[in-house]
Amino acid sequence: MIAKVQRQFAGDWEPAEMPENIVIDDTAYVHTVYCFDLVRSELPAAVTLARGSQVNDGAMFDIGPRGRVHIGECALLTSPWFLCDAEITVGAYTMISWSVVLMDSYRVPLDPEGRRQELDRVARSGWRKIGADVPARPVRIGRDVWIGFECVVLPGVTIGDGAIVGARSVVAEDVEPYTVVAGNPARFVKRLAKPEGFP
Amino acid sequence: MPDHIPQPGRWASGELPANVVLGEDSLITGPKAFARFRSTREPALVIGRGCTLDGAHFAINPAGQVTIGDACAFYGSVLLCELEIRIGHHVYLGWNTTLSDSDFHPTEVAERHADVLACSTLGEGLARRPYPSRPIVIGNDVYIGHNATVLKGVTIGDGAFIEPGAMVSKDVPPRARVIGNPAKVIEMIPSPTPPPS
Repeated sequence: MIAKVQRQFAGDWEPAEMPENIVIDDTAYVHTVYCFDLVRSELPAAVTLARGSQVNDGAMFDIGPRGRVHIGECALLTSPWFLCDAEITVGAYTMISWSVVLMDSYRVPLDPEGRRQELDRVARSGWRKIGADVPARPVRIGRDVWIGFECVVLPGVTIGDGAIVGARSVVAEDVEPYTVVAGNPARFVKRLAKPEGFP
Repeated sequence: MPDHIPQPGRWASGELPANVVLGEDSLITGPKAFARFRSTREPALVIGRGCTLDGAHFAINPAGQVTIGDACAFYGSVLLCELEIRIGHHVYLGWNTTLSDSDFHPTEVAERHADVLACSTLGEGLARRPYPSRPIVIGNDVYIGHNATVLKGVTIGDGAFIEPGAMVSKDVPPRARVIGNPAKVIEMIPSPTPPPS
């Protein structure tokens, strides 16, 4: 069982509790403790926010018992929803716009019969959230990436450094570094110049 | 769970409208669930047992009727209903999914112009113009992912899997997995193999 700590951030009316396995750098900004309300991870350092990173109002970290999220240096998160049962990493200097869903698991089986079992379980549970034990596939967002509003990044996807994902895209396949993709499902649009000295 | 004692269905934020039938063990949350509920049908909304309707919006117009089966789970879903939305058992709707069985305005320009005027603050006494609506029918065991949209007239077959963000404007066959805008079939989910006899 992970202990809780009291914290109060810029947008909080009063101090609130959050799990103590959330590691926030002193220079990082978090709008409200509420964004950690669905963190159930039992791992040490379940959520880490690196130097200068920013999590604004409306973001939600919905993190299962074995999930882990890392937010890189100066990453700017407007209000993404993380659905994480394994691992989601966001690279440094990456921007993620509002209502973007980053998910490493569907949390229900693909086969209808398995899904029916899970929904029967939820119907009789107190917690009332789905969370079947289905394989999760880590999501990796590189450095200097820009993800437009209301995008969905599906389980197992890697988005390369410097890429741009157009608004409302659904990213079902890996995105090459320094490219622009857009659409539903997202498709290659063009290449971006890789600046000198960038990894 | 053998020792489960069924509880009456409830809305966490208040009294249900009189023409809503809510099954045992079903839970509706969200203060705005019925903010746009205007149906006069008897009943207007029938929900089965063991449903979790977390942050749902039932925007149902006067003639609209919505039926939802047992053990469904909706999270932050919006149901816009002019005519009829029929949903089976064990259906999952992810965050921010929208089902709309109507366009709510005509497409033809002059008709639409007259309709907008009737809707405006200057439209008192003017009649709305007719607009197309067709029922939505969703089978059993359907998954509809986050941010997906289902439009008027669509029938989704049993066991279908609608990927997050999909825009579903045409029928989806049973056990099909669809993705995209417009949604296209990418896979048929195999039926379970019967055990050897």
